[in-house]
Amino acid sequence: MNSRLSRRSLLAATAGLGGAGLLTGCVGTSGSGGSGGAAAGGGGGGGGIVFQNSIQDTAPKAALEAIVQSYDGDVTMNSVATEQFRAQLTNYLRSNDPPDVMSWYAGSVARDYAAQGLLLDVSSMWEGDGACAGFSEALKNLSSADDGTQIFVPTNYYWWSVFYKKSAFERWGVQPPTTWDEFLALCENLSGQGVAPLANGIGSTPWMASGWFDYLDLRINGAQYHRELLAGEHSFTDPEVVAVMEQYERLIPYFDPNMGSYSAQDASVPMAQDQAGMYLIGAFVTQYFPEDQRDDLDFFSVPVINPDVPTAEEAPTDGYFAAAGTSDPDATIAFLSYLAAPEQQQAFIEQSGSSNLPTSPDVDTSQFSPLVQKGIELLNSTEEITQFFNRDSSDALQTTADTALTQFLADPGSRDRILEEWQRAAEGVFGQ
Amino acid sequence: MSSDVRAAARPARRGPDGPRPASGARGPARPGGPSLGARLRRVPLLVWVFLLLPLAVELFWVFWPAANSFSLSLTRWDGISPAEPVGLQNFTDLAEDPIFRTALTNNALWVLGFGVLSVVGGLALAVALNKPGRGVGFYRSAIYLPMVVSMAVTGLFWRVMYQPGGPVNAGLEAVGLGSLQRQWLADPDVALAAILVAAVWRQVGYIMVLYLAGLKGCDATLEEAAAVDGASAWQRFWHIVMPQLRGVNTVVFAVTVIDSLRTFDIVWAMTRGGPYNTTQLLSTYMFQQAFTSGNLGYASAIAVVIFVLAIGFIITYLARQARAEEQS
Repeated sequence: MNSRLSRRSLLAATAGLGGAGLLTGCVGTSGSGGSGGAAAGGGGGGGGIVFQNSIQDTAPKAALEAIVQSYDGDVTMNSVATEQFRAQLTNYLRSNDPPDVMSWYAGSVARDYAAQGLLLDVSSMWEGDGACAGFSEALKNLSSADDGTQIFVPTNYYWWSVFYKKSAFERWGVQPPTTWDEFLALCENLSGQGVAPLANGIGSTPWMASGWFDYLDLRINGAQYHRELLAGEHSFTDPEVVAVMEQYERLIPYFDPNMGSYSAQDASVPMAQDQAGMYLIGAFVTQYFPEDQRDDLDFFSVPVINPDVPTAEEAPTDGYFAAAGTSDPDATIAFLSYLAAPEQQQAFIEQSGSSNLPTSPDVDTSQFSPLVQKGIELLNSTEEITQFFNRDSSDALQTTADTALTQFLADPGSRDRILEEWQRAAEGVFGQ
Repeated sequence: MSSDVRAAARPARRGPDGPRPASGARGPARPGGPSLGARLRRVPLLVWVFLLLPLAVELFWVFWPAANSFSLSLTRWDGISPAEPVGLQNFTDLAEDPIFRTALTNNALWVLGFGVLSVVGGLALAVALNKPGRGVGFYRSAIYLPMVVSMAVTGLFWRVMYQPGGPVNAGLEAVGLGSLQRQWLADPDVALAAILVAAVWRQVGYIMVLYLAGLKGCDATLEEAAAVDGASAWQRFWHIVMPQLRGVNTVVFAVTVIDSLRTFDIVWAMTRGGPYNTTQLLSTYMFQQAFTSGNLGYASAIAVVIFVLAIGFIITYLARQARAEEQS
């Protein structure tokens, strides 16, 4: 091997070094120093709004892109996979030159960021003729920080329920249940017909195991207890939680035996093929089904178990917040107002093929599918609204729930030990 | 990867001693000739610039963050509010953390399984495919091919293979072993082994190529002479070929240990440490703690443990290497 430094390789090396220098220069200008900026994937360079979002599914992404494209202003839209977005969100917000607008969830996560002073106060949008002024009081509360200012712009929300296919129920000769006992009997019946009564996907989406936990807790102990439990005011070893797990255990034989390998989306496949019967999931499930089956979908609310607690439904709310460090608050609020306007909400819901509900009362919902109308009706008639496990607590607590609940589903016999470990892990989270 | 770097670095390091027309000193400089100071002074300024620039970059981008993770490991930090010093609390917590213990055990199993399977498999394939024959080139390329896809893609590919009703289960059914079917990535008893198979599937071609290169450098006449003396095939391999592969063995050892210690992507792509943390490695647990749960202090403590383990391996390896060089 020739170890001599030839002129050509020297030149090549110099060019390479120069190129690297240029690249470093780019990182320097877009991130303005620190790993935060570089991790933000190019925060706000010069001029215009940077819109960082976690939208991942194809149709909603296309819908949002179309909406952003028709905005009369300079907006750079970066779409990042949800899990990565979740991991990077803190870095985005803390960077010296943060993205201006970010998509995320209402509730405790947004409130935590607001408490750290990282979110832009958007109260002006909620007053007078602001874009959010007409939104419901419940949404306003949900979008408010602890100090009473508004820091979130909700643009759509959806409901959780037990979804099923009308044609399949007809074929199996069954009816949607109205009581908990009827529900268990229905599971038994479908099981006897060789159908997996309950679809679920807790493989790469272990948080799906929290869906049933949340609902059983809401039905047995009520929304108030549920919120307090998730805020660390009760122990996961309480008899109340044990009662929830006892009901959960009754459901285990009825779950799709492959649920451990499926993601939330994979789990809808057996249901589309009539090999699974029902699926407790958010309304986003409709986009997992082939287009010709979407009209066939219907849902019923998880039946009442304890009639003494108020009715409650989970309705996670999505929307946007802005970084406190935005370089142009006026342009940011203008863009947020555009996203929150009824026309854009309507366009997003129609084009994304999901069954989300608009937050603006001015959206004309008469054209929406009967399923969505029924969803609106469900949420209007319920006494309490919760979000979802992670949105009512934190992503850190969600991790502890994922571990505990997936383990419980695989090994219900170790319930007490699992609950103790869950409580210990949760104390670690609350202690921070 | 590291071996490539090393191979590239070696001639460069020899550079100043090698023939350089510019200096006027023709012929290789003998060690023990001019004093160290004189030799250093003879290095042109440009070379110093070339050496110091990467050093500065390395110091800033690698050593500075690494040093930071040491100080972070003594704090509790969520990434937003100011870090709060907690002394060695993170490490005492680690000692009692059942998930950390699982991850540590899994890491040991992983280094062992990954190392043994890929080295034995790679060596066996290299020996089998070292002989000229019909289609040998095809087999070699086919076995090396998985190496060109990244670990993350390998993970996604094998996730499809392992799906319920996927090729692995369907294959077992087809050959009458239907009773062995299971949910490979959802069953805590087999999930880690299932990931290991995928990782070895990719690594084995790389090790094979390294050994093939080594076998090409073996002196065939020695083996022939041994055959004439009546040595069996196994004796010829073990006593004639293996000693000649010593150089390759060290490279393979280093590559394998380093690759197995830094494993992250394939596990993250396939199970994310699940089901319920049974396939967690130190690296995936560290990532989860840092970026999902936001415990950057605790995650830094795990990083320190990984660092100590890795540095232990590297020092042992370098010491061995130095001893071997002294002996030869």
